[in-house]
Amino acid sequence: MTTHLQQELENISQKIFQMADLAIESIQNAVTSLKNVDTALAESVIQKDTKLDQLEISIDEDCIRVLVTKQPAAADLRLVLAILKANTDLERIGDLSTSIAKETIRLDGRSPLKPLVDIPRMSEMAISMIKLAFRSFTERNADLARDCIELDRQIDDLNMQVYRELFSFMAENPSTISQALGLISVSKALERIGDHATNLAERAIYYIEGEDIRHQE
Amino acid sequence: MDDKIVVEDLSFYYGDTPALVDINLKIQTNTVMALIGPSGCGKSTFLRCINRMNDIIPFTRVEGKINVDDQDIYDQKFDVTNLRRRVGMVFQKSNPFPKTIFENIAYGLKINGIKDKYSIERTVEESLKKTALWNEVKDRLNDSAMGLSGGQQQRLCIARTIAIQPDIILMDEPASALDPISTQKIEELIQNLKTQFTIVIVTHNMQQAARVSDYTAFFYMGKLIEVNKTDTIFTNPEKEMTENYITGKFG
Repeated sequence: MTTHLQQELENISQKIFQMADLAIESIQNAVTSLKNVDTALAESVIQKDTKLDQLEISIDEDCIRVLVTKQPAAADLRLVLAILKANTDLERIGDLSTSIAKETIRLDGRSPLKPLVDIPRMSEMAISMIKLAFRSFTERNADLARDCIELDRQIDDLNMQVYRELFSFMAENPSTISQALGLISVSKALERIGDHATNLAERAIYYIEGEDIRHQE
Repeated sequence: MDDKIVVEDLSFYYGDTPALVDINLKIQTNTVMALIGPSGCGKSTFLRCINRMNDIIPFTRVEGKINVDDQDIYDQKFDVTNLRRRVGMVFQKSNPFPKTIFENIAYGLKINGIKDKYSIERTVEESLKKTALWNEVKDRLNDSAMGLSGGQQQRLCIARTIAIQPDIILMDEPASALDPISTQKIEELIQNLKTQFTIVIVTHNMQQAARVSDYTAFFYMGKLIEVNKTDTIFTNPEKEMTENYITGKFG
């Protein structure tokens, strides 16, 4: 028998999955818009961010209602708490994608400083991380979340590589500084998205195992 | 922290039917231990073992040990009357004596040999203050206790229990027949009382167990399935059976 609580948890889970899909789409489109200097696509990323913001509020309201009216315990409680926090991470991922899209608009039709290689790789990695974290939730498999956390190091390494490359561009030719700083902020945004994906994986582990692994080295 | 109550391999039988099987449990001094579990799981039977209330039920048998302050309360030489003075009990349905409010509390003192009128008056006042009842009844101490509301009667019974300075208070669903405001007062009271007493409470209300207790023990079919800190039991229980019970999947 499915209880009312189970039904409500299922509905909230569906919403957070929908939010994850939107967040992934927004990363993909933001980086594609930058790569192809596609201002229209960048603008659509900014517009669609409203949907993520609305879902964040709606999921918060649903979680609060379930906590107050159903008083869940154990794994049910951990699921609600994990979703409440994952919700914020996904909304932040949406905001960071918006910053990347704004960088495309700032290019105003000009090609980027150089063909983008590492930045698309970072975005693919971040998307894989988010997918792993959510598979971990749905399959209740903490190992997938741990795989996700491992990937974050690779994004951090790529971020440093991008920094180094762009610093040398700026050192050689100061006229590139403005554009290079723009790309550094994009790289930083993707690195932050990786951190939020790590948070999502940590929420999944908390839900599955009841263990809080944050801030452990 | 010291262990106030130590239960070792306790089994209890109604005739040949086991109601409790091999219970091992420690309850620390000045903590609140909640006993939860579905009806018939043995939690009330266990509670009544702690002050030997089950002794008065015919055809029952106890195996194992319960130590209170390192003394085996089932030892043949153990003074049961003294045990019941040290281990007070509050029941589901409030049961004040059909006497005045004052006499309800003074009675226990008198049969415990306290004769000094001022000492009795002082203890009555202190007990009523500790149970947050003093301001509500101070002007009608000589009225019948039966005229009090259900919540007030229950607090009077708690005042009556603590007046004789027990070490341990056993509570068998003390708030299940009360409205939310009276329930809240009882729960507040439990939190205040634990600084002086060790409290063991049986409750069917899961949220109440979570709100008032430091430790929670889950019983099922006469067995102690899991005991742990209350926040652990309600956020991350070890046993699947505990998880299923507290998330309402059975019971």
